[in-house]
Amino acid sequence: MDTQGDAAEPWETAAELVRAAQDGDALAMDELLTLVTPYVTRLCRPIAPHDMPDAVQESLVAVFKGLRGLRDPLAFYGWVRTVTVREAVRVARRTAVEEPADPSDLARLGGLRTGTDGELPADVRDVLARLPVRHRAVLVLRELEGLDEAAVAELLGVPTGTVKSRLHRARSAFRKAWSR
Amino acid sequence: MNTDPVLRLRVLAAGLHAGLYTEQHLPLPYEQVWSVASDLSSELPHLVPFLREFRVPPGDADRKPALAVGRSGLREAFEVRLAPGSCLMQSRLIVGGMAAVPEGAGTRFAVLGATRPTALRPVQWLYGSLLGERRGQAFVHRLTERAALR
Repeated sequence: MDTQGDAAEPWETAAELVRAAQDGDALAMDELLTLVTPYVTRLCRPIAPHDMPDAVQESLVAVFKGLRGLRDPLAFYGWVRTVTVREAVRVARRTAVEEPADPSDLARLGGLRTGTDGELPADVRDVLARLPVRHRAVLVLRELEGLDEAAVAELLGVPTGTVKSRLHRARSAFRKAWSR
Repeated sequence: MNTDPVLRLRVLAAGLHAGLYTEQHLPLPYEQVWSVASDLSSELPHLVPFLREFRVPPGDADRKPALAVGRSGLREAFEVRLAPGSCLMQSRLIVGGMAAVPEGAGTRFAVLGATRPTALRPVQWLYGSLLGERRGQAFVHRLTERAALR
């Protein structure tokens, strides 16, 4: 099977590199780092906008440190998401200076829609940056990554009810803007 | 951000559970430092005490073959990835790496040494003396001396 070809799914390409990296193949690990860095960056940007370089670096260190313990290489991306969101929330909380978002800023938003490159528009990121870290993490996982509430709760280590209430509060800010 | 070779090597050190990883600011320009570090066949035997020869074709490459010859005569085949500011070298038993980026008027330089998980523990044990904090600092010290000569 040629997993390097055009037909290979990203998780298949990653899985092959993960297996080699788990055997201590440094060149494969280097390639895996190149492959996964854009994904980790995309997750960190909205959650830790003020500390993005730190969040990305600490997430990558945690991912590669834990790589040997990953049992199913095909589950690599899901696992990276779990590790990255935890690290990004931790880093963002370290320096969090949280102010409420300005309603006039919210009014400019049409919702949490990503561009063709999978990145959030700058104005959406700007408003997200001013939400509390917890609300940011919930919104990113639910709206951007498309996880259901139970999965978000498990990932963040909080009850489903907490996810629901955070989601409600985070969305209500946007909803007020939409209804104008 | 993560195109920074030193930050990348730091991540790889975590992934490889490297026994040797040292990072230091060197008071020499990046070009001067990297011209020594990347000149593997001429300089590596000066930098690694047990190495007599490191045969490798010159220039950057995604993967190129190399042969290490130890002072004891022990030979070991390596694969090398060399790019500006970044070098990875690995055999079946060990991994070596170097990275450099300009930092102010000087250079941030990092060196990595790791053993690969393998059944060949006794052979690998021979390389154990390569690892450790003091070895890393000695390597950087020798590299700085070599670079200052250029």
